[in-house]
Amino acid sequence: MSAATAETRPARRRRSRGAVESATRGRTWAKTALLAVIFLWCLAPFFWLIMTSLKIEDSALNSPDLFQGPFGFKNYGNVFEQDFHLNLRNSLAVAGMTTILCVVIGSLAGYAIARLPLRGKILLLTGILAVSLFPPVALVPPLYELWLKLGLLNTYEGLYIPYTSFTLPLTIFILTTFFAAIPKELEEAAKVDGATPFKAFFRVILPLAAPGVFAAAIIIFVSAWNEFLLANTFAPRDPEVAQTVPVAISQFTGAVDFQRPIGNITAACVVVTIPMIIVALVFQKRIIAGLTAGSLKG
Amino acid sequence: MRRTTTLGKWMIAAAAGSLVVAAACTPSSDDDGGGGDEGGGQLTWAIGGAEAQPAGVDQKIADLWNEQNPDNPITIEVLPDEADQQREQQVNVLQSGSDEFDVLGMDVIWTGEYSQNGWLESLEDVRDQIEPEVLEGAFTSAQWGGELWAAPFNTNAGFLYYRTDLVDQPPETWDELCQIAEQVGQQEDIGGLIGQGFKYEGFVVNWLEYYWSAGGELYNDDQSEVLFDPEIATQTTEFMQNAMDDGCFAPGFNTATEEEGRAAFQSGKAVFMRNWPYAYQLIQDEGVPQVAKNFDIAPLPTFTGEGTISALGGFNNAVSAYSSNKDAAKEFVVWAATDPEVQKMLATVASVPPVLTSVYDELQSDPDMALLSEVLPDAKPRPPAPTWNTISVEMQDALFPAYNGDGDPAEASDTVADAFNESVEE
Amino acid sequence: MAGAEVATEPRTLSGTGPGGRGPRTKGLSEKGLGRLFVTPAILLMIGVALFPVIYAFVISLRAYTGRLYEGYAGLENYREALSDDKFWASLEFTFVFTVTSVTAEFVIGLGFALLMNQAFRGRGVTRAAILVPWVIPTVIAAQMWYFMFNVNPGSVNALLGLGDFNWLGEAGWVKVVVIFADVWKTAPFVALLLLAGLQTIPTDVYESARVDGANALQRFWHITLPLLRPAILVALLFRTVEALRVYDLPQVMTRGSFDTESLSMVVQQYVIQTPDPGLGSALSTLTFAIILGVGVIFVSLLGRELTIGRTD
Repeated sequence: MSAATAETRPARRRRSRGAVESATRGRTWAKTALLAVIFLWCLAPFFWLIMTSLKIEDSALNSPDLFQGPFGFKNYGNVFEQDFHLNLRNSLAVAGMTTILCVVIGSLAGYAIARLPLRGKILLLTGILAVSLFPPVALVPPLYELWLKLGLLNTYEGLYIPYTSFTLPLTIFILTTFFAAIPKELEEAAKVDGATPFKAFFRVILPLAAPGVFAAAIIIFVSAWNEFLLANTFAPRDPEVAQTVPVAISQFTGAVDFQRPIGNITAACVVVTIPMIIVALVFQKRIIAGLTAGSLKG
Repeated sequence: MRRTTTLGKWMIAAAAGSLVVAAACTPSSDDDGGGGDEGGGQLTWAIGGAEAQPAGVDQKIADLWNEQNPDNPITIEVLPDEADQQREQQVNVLQSGSDEFDVLGMDVIWTGEYSQNGWLESLEDVRDQIEPEVLEGAFTSAQWGGELWAAPFNTNAGFLYYRTDLVDQPPETWDELCQIAEQVGQQEDIGGLIGQGFKYEGFVVNWLEYYWSAGGELYNDDQSEVLFDPEIATQTTEFMQNAMDDGCFAPGFNTATEEEGRAAFQSGKAVFMRNWPYAYQLIQDEGVPQVAKNFDIAPLPTFTGEGTISALGGFNNAVSAYSSNKDAAKEFVVWAATDPEVQKMLATVASVPPVLTSVYDELQSDPDMALLSEVLPDAKPRPPAPTWNTISVEMQDALFPAYNGDGDPAEASDTVADAFNESVEE
Repeated sequence: MAGAEVATEPRTLSGTGPGGRGPRTKGLSEKGLGRLFVTPAILLMIGVALFPVIYAFVISLRAYTGRLYEGYAGLENYREALSDDKFWASLEFTFVFTVTSVTAEFVIGLGFALLMNQAFRGRGVTRAAILVPWVIPTVIAAQMWYFMFNVNPGSVNALLGLGDFNWLGEAGWVKVVVIFADVWKTAPFVALLLLAGLQTIPTDVYESARVDGANALQRFWHITLPLLRPAILVALLFRTVEALRVYDLPQVMTRGSFDTESLSMVVQQYVIQTPDPGLGSALSTLTFAIILGVGVIFVSLLGRELTIGRTD
């Protein structure tokens, strides 16, 4: 907490002097106003999503007024009738596996690039970056055929393997940055203590890079969760097997052809966002609390 | 000490991770893996949309077939709601030569493309069973290059929806419609005509309805010659441009698809709407009371004032060339097109326009079916050319900016003419 | 430099290490460890990504009519792509979009990160709130914005009291709306990266600066920004390459009308909608080359930071 909060404490501690007091009050008002603006910016559309998901009987179409019209939970019922919980399970498994694989493989590679002697690092980084740059839509036809032959269609492996592969570049870049930011003295201290390079990595460096690791983990998880193109091609239809959440939502139908079920779509969106926020809340604490004062001051 | 605590957290993370790994083996599905090998009579019908869902009419049709044909049971493979996505998924399976799909539910404009790629089984040998029974326009959309590739399943045509409390008589010409739209719109402070003007296939449908109703044509009967008339096309685009500027078109015309149009009309923000029949029931059930009680449907106007023209939509059923059960599949598609019970079910259960002409005689009591029987004989299909998508995209690219005042209508017409001419040069 | 000297020591001092290969070896050398560590990543990326890329490149050298193979075409597809107005128009829009949205995302993201780094009441909720836009799947967010900005039923117009303003149907405003939607959605991603980066700046540096009399702005400009440079570059790099490949937002919100067609949309059109595998692959390769070019600039700026590291 100390690293983060040191900056803001001083303002509050000063005792009352007229000018200082009103300046402080002014600052508090400014901060509150700023917070209000930020909340509005981030959450207003989400509020719209919630209100629209609660509107039943076409009131979403009939009136743009958020507080108008019959409300009910029918849309949520519709969403779960379509096996949406299975989609949630599929997405969780695929995103989870991707995160674990990416973090493990990416940490190793990131540390190697940041700290270990390797030849041609800039070239390596460029190559790694290049992997994630090719337009996925053009990669999909050959991959589809290959996956068909290997029997990887409609499987978790068929999704998390390419997800890992395409998310590794970002992971490696993030983790390399964090490993590079750790002062060398700590590493050398560990080695003087008699650890092998691997022990130094696992016991000392990795915990110190925790903020970066957790930041990378959230980013990987959310990217894998929201990925659409590959999921739509490799596991398009069967929620019982591997169909993920974004694909399922994109296939919601209305009661008749042409009708777009905006109520169901927004309801599904709300259902999907809430666990994501929980995941983000859990992980963000780790990002902030990652570096504890002691190891740095040493 | 700190190190062990952090390490402890890592251990917990690793344990949780291994749980995820254990859970991350793909669950085995209830039905046979992939549904790929279906010798012995099983049929798979790949169709999407609202009616393909378990509660939809397609399922009831499948059940009916299964009752009558226990040796060749058919199951529905539910495709996505949007036509583009349905096509993507069908193409993926067909390109790989898989026998996963036996019967394909195809949008009427895909016939040429699918047949050109060799994905469809010719239905010439059952032509005589189908042709006399179904609507002419629908039947045309199932052919390409003079050969029959699919059996029509259901159809669709455009209606003019209008407010009966604001308009006494539905207009018979577009100019009349614009006059009324602007006048009444100003009076009531609402929009005029809302259609589908967003940059997608629906815009091409709307534009073609104006173009055809001005006397324009696209191809001759066997699609060997291009009859596209750039002059009429320019007039059409100019009409749309003026309609945008003068307020004949309601605000948001150029960003509206079917649902936005319905939203505008059923909330009372437009005097007229061009839309498919699906909106009829929905407006009655869910529109604001003022509109729900005071609207009606009519044939689309023309420029000449004579007759009516609308674009044809709908779906056809085709047999996959890779199917391992072609005979049964053929029987199914013919049955779905010509069996009176099936076609009647489409109309009565789902309000989906059938293709069997005889059914319409029994449905006259239903207003939208009655209007359909009036309008369908003159409805024109978009040519299901193999390159229709290319032509459509070129039309959108050229005509959309033109009618929005961002391009020259005459130039746009020339670009479109080139696109059509290229399509017969192959 | 220091690394090379240290490399030799652990061999003599340590016993068996977890990375070792048996009782005889005294742990893996740094060099070997380095190679071992990068191998899984490289194998995985090559295994999945290399084959399709080569396949796409080979296809780009062939001629097609629709989906039917017509023979070898050499660079004809590339010539066709480069002489297509659509390609250049989409390139222009993509660049404008990228520069504008990445700049806005960076500024807003940095502000968010600094805020999320503070301690104040309700900071947990604030951090969660800031992340909300980013966790919504892009395809859904695009549909949501299309619905909200559309004149019918007109959610945004009702909220702002704008009557019938046609956000999505007017030439200039369309771009503003698409950029806004992108900034709204991805500023949190930048914030997250920069927030993590802020954690690596040790407090004593701030303390000594404050003791020296530096005010908040000076501390920010002379300490925070420079030390945050690697994280900033990573964030900018990945946001830039993502923005250059934008697809969902303009596709759903505008279908590329009024000059909002992006590079990826043109690629998508020729691969899926009006398929011409040769042309589609050529466009993909061109897109790839352009984006890689931009990426290389960032990597060269970043590479030095990452591989040499901080020696404070």
